[in-house]
Order: sequence, then structure tokens, then C-alpha cells
Amino acid sequence: MHPATPPTAGAPARQAHRTPATRRGFLRRFLATAVTVPLLLGGAVACGSDDEAGSDGKVELSIFWWGGDARAQLTEQALELYTKKNPNVTFKKTWQANQGYFDKLATLTAGGSPPDIFQIDDNFLTEYAARNTTLDLNEYKDNGKLDVSKFPESLWQYGVVDGKLAGLAAGENTQGLVYNKSLLTKNGLPEPTTGQSWEEHIAWAEEVSKKAKVPGTMDASAVDKAFWVWLRQQGKDLYKGNDLGFTVEDVTKWFELWKGARDRGATPTPDVIHEGNATDITKQLVVTGKAATSWVWVNQMPELKKNTNDDLGVVAYPGDPSAQWARAAMYWSVFRGSKHKDVAVDVLNFLVNDQEVVKLLGTDRGLPSNLDLRRVVSDDVTDPAMKLSIEVETKLAETFGPAPQVPIKGHSKVRAELTKAAEEAQYGRLTPAQAAEQFYAACKSAIA
Amino acid sequence: MALTTAPGPTRRGNGSVRPRANRGAGRNRHGEGLAGYVFLSPWLLGLMAVTAIPMLLSLYLSFTNYDILTPLSEVEWVGLANYERMFTSDPSYWHAVQVTLKFALIAVPLKLAAALGVALLLNRAWRGVGLFRSLFYLPSLLGGSVALAIVWVNMFNRDGAFNSFLALVGIEGKPWVNDPEWALQTLMVLAIWQFGAPMVIFLAGLKQVPTELYEAASVDGASKFSQFWNVTLPMLSPVIFFNLVLETINGFQGFTAAFVLSNGTGGPVDSTLMYTLNLYISGFTNLEMGYASAMAWVFLLAIALITVIFFSTGRFWVHYSDGER
Repeated sequence: MHPATPPTAGAPARQAHRTPATRRGFLRRFLATAVTVPLLLGGAVACGSDDEAGSDGKVELSIFWWGGDARAQLTEQALELYTKKNPNVTFKKTWQANQGYFDKLATLTAGGSPPDIFQIDDNFLTEYAARNTTLDLNEYKDNGKLDVSKFPESLWQYGVVDGKLAGLAAGENTQGLVYNKSLLTKNGLPEPTTGQSWEEHIAWAEEVSKKAKVPGTMDASAVDKAFWVWLRQQGKDLYKGNDLGFTVEDVTKWFELWKGARDRGATPTPDVIHEGNATDITKQLVVTGKAATSWVWVNQMPELKKNTNDDLGVVAYPGDPSAQWARAAMYWSVFRGSKHKDVAVDVLNFLVNDQEVVKLLGTDRGLPSNLDLRRVVSDDVTDPAMKLSIEVETKLAETFGPAPQVPIKGHSKVRAELTKAAEEAQYGRLTPAQAAEQFYAACKSAIA
Repeated sequence: MALTTAPGPTRRGNGSVRPRANRGAGRNRHGEGLAGYVFLSPWLLGLMAVTAIPMLLSLYLSFTNYDILTPLSEVEWVGLANYERMFTSDPSYWHAVQVTLKFALIAVPLKLAAALGVALLLNRAWRGVGLFRSLFYLPSLLGGSVALAIVWVNMFNRDGAFNSFLALVGIEGKPWVNDPEWALQTLMVLAIWQFGAPMVIFLAGLKQVPTELYEAASVDGASKFSQFWNVTLPMLSPVIFFNLVLETINGFQGFTAAFVLSNGTGGPVDSTLMYTLNLYISGFTNLEMGYASAMAWVFLLAIALITVIFFSTGRFWVHYSDGER
């Protein structure tokens, strides 16, 4: 971030001192650049594709993912296994934290050197698929080189954008409400259950706030995945075709539900809620002790557990759990211009369908997509937090509803706008109705 | 950077800023010019590669719908649509403009005042004054660093060091960085705290003020304040001007601290959505690089305009003792 400042710092000065003579030169150079640069870059892109392995048969694939140290270790081991079985294939591995990952991925793509294989999630899959950055995996699925036959149908289909299989589900997850079990037991409070209504949840949270002196529930009004489940329970959806699947009245009701919760003292104060909205997984309020529950994904439970000594539990979000679905926790995608598409797809297939590797990777990227292997992994698991999250998700899978469509272009903006509008209401700067109006208008222009 | 050196205090009177005036008439101008360019070439090539070409490209992109992911050869020319959207239908753009103006208008004068005040205090022959100069300069060495911003956020949390300090004197603090009413002010304090760089320049300027002027003033019975007002300030005005221009430009470009404080979102509720942060989000998160390029060019022109205004008003209050300019 920092290096961005100095070069521009001098620019205005130069601008101010520019003489008429250089201004003419400037125009000429601009026109020249405007014409030639796109041509040059376009040419480079056009001749860069479809070139298979070098004469010695050696292939080096670049692969890029986000995550922590643990994931990095597991993934590196998994890729080593692939190299062991296919000695001519090696990997150039790059990984980093989630924050900034997509900026980097976009920049790499713009620079004409995107990784052959990259990790992506449903916030950005459509952005990349709609611009033909991702390879359509349908062909490989049909000729059997990529085997999704053991996947739940709705899981692999959650990678389909405009009829193209843009991403391969690296794992499955679903919404999970994680709560601090130790805190509840200590105060003689009941644990939340799957299937309790939103009203019941908020009443329960109010009770927790009173008895345990810890705010009962994180305010979920800015949490897009909670809003989404709630919408589905009202018979609506986040998106419908290329439009929004809800009305401004729906948003108002959602914001009012949470205003009620705040008024009853069921949630933390707005600044703490903001902290919860802004933070990454390791500092969720249930972990930092600032709330008794956090709204996350079921498979994140083991990760949360690593950051606290308290016992944690996990249930579905309130309301009818059939509104939840088998979501691809994240995908593996292949760059369409990769020189080694076939090998890259084979690596993908290996990562999700090879028993040894899947056992190694465990639930780090969600429950294994391959159902046969999921069973093997869950039989083997020893970590109690991981065991619990697998049990809960397997149970929920019995009632999963159909998967919604993958979020459309502009989704990341929609999420940011939801946070903004919800926080306006949380800080009391706007009424729920005003915040809903603002959110709805912003969404409309974000997806336009 | 012609701008940054021209009004500087150290070039006064020795004529080195106008080399051409001293040239002998019979020299071979062409050969000398060529040699000059050869010596310049490393810098010139660098300028072209990392500044000029990307800047021109961004000007071109500002008239397109470039979204980073689509190859440049396929971008569509959209004319002035990006500029139109900025000025007519993007509320968050105007919000960012307001936040940035507020930041610059408050933080820059206070920072300069702090720098000048401390420079005056340190411009004395006290024992250990050198140590204090270094200590006050220290924060600006840390610059716009990410680590500093992280420390700042933790200090001004609800349970941060600053509130613990307030609690000692019986004041109940606020969640400064997580409160939309206070988050930007917290960033201002951070910017002001880093007054070391202008302070050092002020100190250098103060050393240049001839002591005879103060002696003459005190012989005439001028009070300390009157000496400051009628001697120090006018003599220091070129340095003040220099610092003002530089710090204003820096102030408008504040990015790092806002980015870190808000996790790259400009929150809470867009209260720290500085212009450059908004630009960054548009380009890299929303993938609207064409639009972001348009924002960058409007920004460049705005800063250029402000600088021009400074220079054109400067002649009314900036006093050059050698009569230059």
C-alpha cells in the first residue's frame, strides 16, 4: 500500500509546471500509447495459450490460494504427493491471507500471468467466469477426466455459471451458528438448538446477556449469509436471474428484527458489532469473549476452537434449516489461458478424489466433496471440534434445500453495501427503513 | 521535483538555481545538452517506465470500461461515462471527497502548527535539545507504515491503552476507531503526531533567520510576540509555504492508515473512506479499473489546481528576503 504514495506525490508538481511545449508532446505520446499498448498486450495474450509441455516433458504449474499456515502445510504436502506420482509435474506455490488475495489475483490476471490453478469462492466466481477467465470444466467432466460422480449433485452444480462449470467445489460447508458452550454451562443456560425460530433465538440471547453478562448473540444484520438464509425462509432469495430476489420491505423487516434484538440487549454495542463485522475468522466475537455466538460456516468451527480455551458448539442458523444448502466452501479453478490445462485439471481431480490426499487435507477447505471419501475422513477424525462439525453438517445435509444460483456479478459490492447499511442502523444513524432504502438502491446500481 | 526545491530555504542567494544565467556564451550547447540527457537517462527511463507510461495508460483506461480481468485488447471505449457517473450518480464518490477534504482541512493546519510550535521550542541552545529533536522526529521516520497503523488501532480501541489512560483520570473513553463519529479524528491525530518532517524543515528555516533582526527588534522594544509576528513569520514564510504545499498533497493522499484501520473497507460506515481508498476499492475490489482511473485523473487535476492556487496566492504572503521571484 505504502509504495503507492511516493510516485504520485510528485506528479501534481510536474503537472503544475508543465509548459505548453511539453503539453503538446504529451498529447502526441498519449495518442501513441493509447493505440499501441492495447495492441501489444492483446497480441501477447493471443499468442500465449495452448502450448503443451516442454520437449523434456517437464511441466511446472503455478498454484495460488489463500489461507493460514496450517492450510499451506497441508496443501504443500498434497501437491508433493502429486509430484511423487507424476515426477514430471512440479508446482510453483503461492499463498497468502484472505485479505488482499483477490486484489492480487486480479492484478496477476491483468498482468497476463495468472496462476494455472487458483482458489476462489462464490463472492468472485461469477466475476471471473463471466469474463471467461476460468476454464469451462464441463468437457473434462463429460469425458471422465474430472470425476464429480461422487459429489452431491447440488454441490458441483454450485460451480456452474451460465452453463459453464467454472469452479470445482474443493469442499462443502453450510451456515453454522457457533456458541460458547462453556459459558452457557457455567451459567446454567440452555444451548441453542437447530430449528428454533429467530424470535426464540433473540429471546434466548437476551437471557444470556442478563445472566452471563456477555452479549448473547452477535448482531447478524450485516452478515450476508444470515440475511440470505432468512430470505430463503421467507420464500425469497438473494438473487433471481440477473436481478435481486428480495424487496426493500424484506430488508426493512430484516433490519427491524435486529433493531429489536439490540433494543432488548441481546447483542453487543454497535462498536463491538462493527469489530465482529470487520474481523477475520480468528477474532470472531465468540472467540474473543465479546459475544456468546458468532455467525460463521460450520466447517470453521475447528479453526475457531484453536483460538479459545472454551468449549464451542455449533448448530444451524435459526428458522427452518432446510433454507440452508450445500455450499461450495471454495472452488479450484483453472485459468483458461493456461498452457497446461489437461494437467491442471488432473491435479484438481487428484485433490478431490484421491483417498490419501483427501484424508490428508481433512476438512480444511470444508467437508470433502466426494461423499465416499467424506465417510472415510469422518471415521478417521480425532479432533473433537472437527468431529462435531462433521456430525452437525452431515445431519444438516439430510434436510438441505436446493442450492441457490451462484451469486451474480457485483456480489462483493452488495456485501459491502449490506455491511454499510446495517451499521448505519446499528449506530442509530438511520432507521431500519431508511437503511433498507439505501441498501436496496446501492444493490440495484451494483448489479446493473 | 522542481516544486519542492525552488522555494526551499537553502538555495537562497547563491544563484545555483539558475545555472543557465552563468553559462559562458561560446560553449557548445548541443554537446552539453546531449551529455546532460545521457546522464539523466537512468532517471528518465525509470520515469517513463514506472510513471509516465502507466499514467498515460490510466488516462486512456479512464475512458473505457476496463475491469482488470478482461484483456486490454477487448476493453470498450465508453467516452466520458466514467466521469459522468462520478459527478452525477455515485453518492459514495462525493462522500469520499467530503471525508478527504475534512481530513486535509483539519489535519494539515494542525500538523503544521504543531511542527512550528515544537520547532520554536527546540530552536534554543538548551542542553539535550538534540535528543529532543531526534525524539520528536522519530514518529515521521515510521512514515505511513502498516505496523504503525496497527499499533494505533489497538491503542484507540475500546479497551486500548488510550482509554486505560483516560480511566486513570476518571474519564470514560469511547471506542474511538470503531465509532463512526471518531474514527476519522483518530486518523487525524495519527497524521498530526507525525509532524517531525515539517518540524525539521522549520528548524532549518529558523536557523537561517539573521540574529541581527531580533537584536534590532529588541532594541526597538518589540515584545517576544511582536518579534515572532513581524520577524520570524515573514522570514519563515517560504518554508511555511513549502511545508504547506507538501503536507496538503500528502494529506489528500492519506491511504495506509485508513486502509488498515478499516480492513480495507473505509468503515465504520464509510467514515474513513478517503479518496484514495475509495479509488482502490473501486479498482481492485469492485473490479472497475476504468472508473478508478477516471477518479485518479480527477484527483490529479484537483491537487494540481490546489497547488496552482497556492502558488498564485503565495506572492501575497510569501516573503523572499533576497528578492527572488
